Order: sequence, then C-alpha cells, then structure tokens
Amino acid sequence: MRRARPALGTIVEIEAAQSADAGVEQAVMRAFDAVERVQRLMSFHAPDSDLARLNRDAYRRPVAVHRWTRLVLRAAQALWRDTEGWFDCTVAPTLVTHDFLPLHAGFDPGGRYEGSMADIEFERAGRVRFRRPLSLDLGGIAKGFAVDRAIEILQSAGVECGVVNAGGDLRVFGPRPEFVHVRDPQRPGAFIRRGPFSNIAIATSAAYHSRKTIAGRPVSHFVNPRTRMLLDVPYSATIVAASCMIADALTKAVILSGSDRVACLARYRATAFIDGGGLGARAA
Amino acid sequence: MQPKDVLFGLPVAVLVAPASAYAAVYLTVEQAQQLIFPNVALAPAPIALSDVQKKAIQEQSGVRVRSTSLRAWRTPGGDFFIVDDVLGKHEYITYAVGITARGTVKQVEILEYRETYGDAVRRQEWLAQFAGKNSAAPLRLDEDIRNISGATLSSRHITDGIKRLLATYEIALR
Repeated sequence: MRRARPALGTIVEIEAAQSADAGVEQAVMRAFDAVERVQRLMSFHAPDSDLARLNRDAYRRPVAVHRWTRLVLRAAQALWRDTEGWFDCTVAPTLVTHDFLPLHAGFDPGGRYEGSMADIEFERAGRVRFRRPLSLDLGGIAKGFAVDRAIEILQSAGVECGVVNAGGDLRVFGPRPEFVHVRDPQRPGAFIRRGPFSNIAIATSAAYHSRKTIAGRPVSHFVNPRTRMLLDVPYSATIVAASCMIADALTKAVILSGSDRVACLARYRATAFIDGGGLGARAA
Repeated sequence: MQPKDVLFGLPVAVLVAPASAYAAVYLTVEQAQQLIFPNVALAPAPIALSDVQKKAIQEQSGVRVRSTSLRAWRTPGGDFFIVDDVLGKHEYITYAVGITARGTVKQVEILEYRETYGDAVRRQEWLAQFAGKNSAAPLRLDEDIRNISGATLSSRHITDGIKRLLATYEIALR
C-alpha cells in the first residue's frame, strides 16, 4: 500500500508491503504521526515549535525541548564539526533576509546573530541553551530524521519491506533491492536511475526548486557558511548512507564544498554522487 | 560530467526520461473516506458557492477560489470530508481533507499526484485534461519511475488549499 500526505513543507510518501496482518495500515498511520510530530517540533516558523522557542529564548535561558529535538541538535553539532563547517544550521538569518525562510517569532532583522554551532549547549532535564544569539534552521536535517523515525515504526511493527520518501529524502528497507531515480538537475522531468540498493537511505540536494535572481545574480537557498552568501549551483549532490538524517545533512557538505570526496564521508560510511554541470561553476 | 556510480561496483547510472508525465495514484475517494472517517456514514453534500461566499472565502483565507463547486460529504456528527485539487507550476494534486465539526483539520490524504515538465505543447495537453476538456494524449502512468530522490515540490499549494477549505467550512458549511 502507498500513501502520501503533505508534511515538512513537502509531500511525504510511505509505501509498505501488504501482509495478511491488518496491522500494516495502522503502522503506516503511526509512521505519518511521527513525521507530523517532527514537523511540529522543528518547524522554523510555527510559533510554538521547539525550534521557534529555542530561537526566541535559548540565548536568555535554557529551554526544555523534546528528546528528538535534542537528538537532532546533537547530531547537527557533530556533523558541523565532521564536515569542517560545511553543514551549518546557523545560516537562517541570511535565508530570512532573502525571503527563503519566513520571519520567526522574536527574529531580529537587524540583530547580530554571532553565535556558531559550538554555542549550542546541552543541559540537564532536556534543556538546551545558546551561549550566544543564534537563529537556527533545521531544514537540512529534519526531513531525513523524520524518515528514520517513520522507518523505525514500520520495522518495529513487523512490516517486511517499504519506503519512506520525504520530498526526495528517502529510505528503503526489506529484502528486495530497489532502483532509485535521481532528478537530473539539468533536465527537469528526466531522472538518473541508480541502484539497485537494499536497506539504505538516499538524499539529494539541488538548486532547481529554489533558484531565483537577486540583483541580477542567480542564487538558490544554499548559503556558503564561510562567507554567509547565497550561491547557485548547477549540479546536484546525492548521498547514500545508512540513515536518512546523515544522508540529508551530508548532501549540504558535498554541495557547498563542491567535492564528492569530503573526508567525513568515510566516517559516516556514506557515498556521494554529483550530477549535472561543472563543479567549478559556483558564485562566491 | 559523467555521473559516477561506485556502489557495489555496478555500472548502473542510466538516464531515464518518462514518455509523457509522472503520476502516482494513492487512493480512491471511497478509500480516503474510509481512512479519514472509518465506519461512518457519509452523506453527499455538494455545494455550489455563491459569489458572495467566494469573495468572503478569498478574503478570509487569502487564497484564490478557482472553482465554486465543492465536492463535500457530511457525517452525522457535522464533520466534513472534502475532495479538492491544486495546480502548481508542474504538478496537479488531488487530495482529501477531513474537517471536524469544530472546524479543525482531522486528517489529509493525497489521492493522486501528477507532474509534467514537458515542453510547452505537451504541457498544454496535460493541463487541458484538468480543465475538463478533452485531451488527445491520455495520461500514461510510468510505473518504472519509483523512489524519486531530488529537491522536490513544496506542499505550499496543498496547505493553501487547506486554508481555503477551512475558510470554506466556516463560511459555507458550518
């Protein structure tokens, strides 16, 4: 059976092998519940999400957040270190300024968000604080995390094989290998068929859906964390890894560094593919 | 630049271009009704919105009303099941939403998703079928295109549609 719902700003599709046990339908519903929970916790603009409360208050005092939010923040901090800063959730102010993200409660457009990922501190009783002001966006990791949670629910319900696909960040499990179709960044509507793969996650990042022109210059939602400037990239980066959260985050490291050989790939046992235009074609 | 595939040593990166358009069918209206309001008798309650209602809905939701005919069903308890569709730049999506008698969203399910990136002519044909006109080129489902990875569409059109339907509920159904 295959179901789809809007969530996480995109369409999330769950496919699960039917079996004699009617529990599959229930498992799929619970998997969607988990995805919707991730959305409620990590939405950038929903005023009462964990993320919004952190962005508004965590500089002033520790904020209690859900265990999942802590998990993602810890993973994000580790990924920031492991990717030598290419994966960086603190670029939200640049995205807000250029209308890639909406304003969030308490966002200060003139404010100096000087903090870095190192300023996220984890305290007791599930609390998190920011040592310096930060505006975080978890859009580069939350979809992958949601996919992993959904997969976990399907597997523990005994579903034999299935796929969860959150707007292109997907994970397959089960004995039957699957082909994956990566959108061709140069020809919308065409796909690059890869695989077959078993029991892996795949995520792809590209600029084709966010690309626009600002002051005559083409840009996308990708921000160079070193310069804090928007870039446009003609290629796409696809990561294959065991977890979708890791795959999701590592696509940013590959896209922004322009390299499919970033050192952390080996540590995370991930493989990268770059498709599309020349690697050199990046605006600083 | 040649895509490289080193996983498992299999040389299997192949460019695939579907002949016409990509489509995925998830649920029929009846199946969606069963999912959102299981074991509940739904009575058809189709509505034709008046101009006054249409304007009020547009103003309240901030979303344009493209069609004044509403495909709605009502439960004995006063909840509603509505089938709606939204048209994006490349995608056409039919979905169902359950709205409770308190005016909140109970559940959303996508019924059908279709997309095309075809050239101008093919796109006109593709669009025509959704305007209720006859199309010479019937939609072909490409079953081989599964598991799509890539930065994809935003769900903004659907969430706008839901906003519009919540306003519709307040103004025309409650």
